[in-house]
Amino acid sequence: MAEQSSPKASAAPQGGGFFRSILRARESGIAIPLFLLIVVVSIVNPVFLDIDNLLNIARQISFVFIIGIAMTFVFVAAGMDLSVGSVLALGGVICGLALRALMLVMPLWLAIVISILLGLLIGLVAGAFNGIVITRFKIPSLIVTLGMMYIARGIVQVLTRGNPVYPFPDEFNNLGQGYLLGVPNVVYVAVVLGILAHIVLTQTAWGRAVFAVGGNTETARLSGINVVKIVTSVYVLCGLASGITGVLTAARLASALANAGTGMELQVIAAVIIGGTSMFGGSGSILGTLIGAAFMSIIANGMVLMKISVYYQSVVIGAIIILAVGIDQFRRRRGGMLGG
Amino acid sequence: MADTVLQMRDITKRFFSVAALEKVSIDLARGEVHALVGENGAGKSTLMKILSGSYPSSAYEGEVEVNGKKVSFASTHDAERAGIQMIYQEISLNPELSVGENVFLGNLPRRRFPWFVNWTKTNSLTVEALARVGLDVSPRETVRRLSTSQQQLICIAKALYRHPHILVLDEPTSALTETETQTLMGIIAKLRSEGISCIYISHKLDEVFGIADRITVLRDGHVISTTPRADVHPERVIEDMVGRKIETMYPKLKLPLGAERLRVEHFTVASHIPGKNIVEDVSFGVRAGEILGLGGLVGSGRSELVNAIFGSRGRVSGDVFIDGAPVTISSPEDAIRHRVGLLTEDRRTSGFVGTMNIRENTTLASFSKIFGRLFIRRSAEREYAQSYFRQLNVRAPGVETGILSLSGGNQQKVVLAKWLMTDVRVLFLDEPTRGIDVGAKVEIYSLMTELARNGVAIVMISSELPELLAMCDRFVVLAKGRANATFTCEEISDSLFMSAATGMYCRD
Repeated sequence: MAEQSSPKASAAPQGGGFFRSILRARESGIAIPLFLLIVVVSIVNPVFLDIDNLLNIARQISFVFIIGIAMTFVFVAAGMDLSVGSVLALGGVICGLALRALMLVMPLWLAIVISILLGLLIGLVAGAFNGIVITRFKIPSLIVTLGMMYIARGIVQVLTRGNPVYPFPDEFNNLGQGYLLGVPNVVYVAVVLGILAHIVLTQTAWGRAVFAVGGNTETARLSGINVVKIVTSVYVLCGLASGITGVLTAARLASALANAGTGMELQVIAAVIIGGTSMFGGSGSILGTLIGAAFMSIIANGMVLMKISVYYQSVVIGAIIILAVGIDQFRRRRGGMLGG
Repeated sequence: MADTVLQMRDITKRFFSVAALEKVSIDLARGEVHALVGENGAGKSTLMKILSGSYPSSAYEGEVEVNGKKVSFASTHDAERAGIQMIYQEISLNPELSVGENVFLGNLPRRRFPWFVNWTKTNSLTVEALARVGLDVSPRETVRRLSTSQQQLICIAKALYRHPHILVLDEPTSALTETETQTLMGIIAKLRSEGISCIYISHKLDEVFGIADRITVLRDGHVISTTPRADVHPERVIEDMVGRKIETMYPKLKLPLGAERLRVEHFTVASHIPGKNIVEDVSFGVRAGEILGLGGLVGSGRSELVNAIFGSRGRVSGDVFIDGAPVTISSPEDAIRHRVGLLTEDRRTSGFVGTMNIRENTTLASFSKIFGRLFIRRSAEREYAQSYFRQLNVRAPGVETGILSLSGGNQQKVVLAKWLMTDVRVLFLDEPTRGIDVGAKVEIYSLMTELARNGVAIVMISSELPELLAMCDRFVVLAKGRANATFTCEEISDSLFMSAATGMYCRD
């Protein structure tokens, strides 16, 4: 390096500020339709902007988003996790069963803490199982997590015989139902986890390694990245996030249901895809997933407010998924045109 | 001219505002081999995509005449019907189908009762078609199980079977061994005598000068020169290609050598066929500042050997010593920790990450330099990336440019930058100049010299004999997985090298 000053000089145009980086980001492709959607819904039915309605939406978004965060990591690593919905139910049920047993034998706060940790732990174990089987036996993630989807759901059925686990003490239910400073508790959890995940994905060596593995596994391996460790860890993360959401869902509903989280995996995957994260790995962002989750919840909410039959919701969301990916493909092809 | 089979006139093709071709005209006579050379991005592929109908006639300006008649192809199908066949550098076969099915794809011989394929006829015709390219494999063999060079020959057989009168070969020998290349040259010479015309695209000027009747140089979308081969000298062609004088193609310096940097003892590597070894008991040493040429034909175990030393492939046995001390390398992580690097032969599949930009690809193997205890040090990363970007003269708008938008040569420079950043003491270069243009090649050669000057021990694998002979101080030639012979650069010659590589000549 002959000239010491030049890196500084060139740093200026690259910084560009927070807002410019947002505008340049891939997510802006879906952020603009989201904004338009909000404008249209608010004009048609101003009830949308009621604080109660907005908080309700925020809570809905939070549940999908917490798993969506982890699913983003999985997608960036070019993987797939179909088991999140079932693992969510498993986490909730384990937590619920533990709570109902432990609260009889120890102080309530301790019972709550231990049972929550157990709920998270079972999610983590399920995720670790996914990750280890995928990496050690080189079975496609789609297959392994499809299997886990059935296994976890099956364990839940065995444990509960299909009956809901309830009642829980209010102190526990408060986690999912309560408010702090007028905002649902769940929203705080989602915001904190979202910020943490964004930092981890963009600022740490582990996050960079996830991008590298998803972009090109072989190159990553030959560049000294421990691919097995990285891939396993994203599934562990996904299991953990499912466990967290399972506990929160049980608290929200004041009971742990055997069919909790049914179809959740598809909602989460849709949110991640709408948010611009590529299914082929190597790219994606937490902010995108947040926007994707928001889009889906606001569409659902907006259609109710606009008095459109709920039956159309699925049709619209399906169309949006195809559209979102289509737009992304188009942009990418245009971007890469000058390449070859 | 009556025997002009192809005339492309004033072809202009734009991508948005950028002109990839600007009023390019070339013609092709009956029974002529017309070589098209130029750096990557010069417009050769674009021109051929127009000829093959990949770009429909509405997508460009200019005229194409075949046999004196103006044509406008709407698809590749139209071009094939006009008697134009393309053979691409990348193999375009279906790996799951048999050889016969691939040769006759879309055109399988049927029985009279029209629904069933006549397999007997397919197979016998396939054998015939393969004989034309000197290939002896079963028509029933699945293509996946064949070697890359065999697959390339099948592509050629497939094209020839369709009886083209214009054959376009785009870098057809990049996957072929020396002998197979000779076979192909023989085939082309025979086609020429049968009146078939060829457009031959290649980076390898020795091939071009061996076979072409005329040579056209493209640069930046313009025709620079079209000359009969007899009237032009290779150095002139290179100058036309790069647009500047190249004093020497190979900037090789005789450097004083240091102590032995890398020693490899008794390496044996298993092949993917159980019970067989692809490398058998190979030992060699490289000194600091030395460039060792690892020679051999494709399939002789060269790549497998360096991958095993690097730890990216398992080994049956073998010890590695660096600067005299034994080291354990059982993964690429270990290798990088001991400052050993490997530039793999296929940069697209194992050299860079396509979704990342230049900066991220440069720092990919040096996380410890750019990440603090927890977080990335962005300014440090940018400074590293930019300093290598400048040092290697990467041609791109900046380090934030996506690597896929670079030419092959510039991509390769970024992959090299990745290894330079790890402060390598030992660097394995597996086909470092494959598929890159002349200008970038020269830059990579100078860089190798520069690294050697700084005491790096380099092991180079190359199928291009001229560059291997010119760049290396010493040679270890593998044949059938064994180190068959070693030579110094004073005693080596083409023929000696080839006889060792083919196992005719043995010496330690």
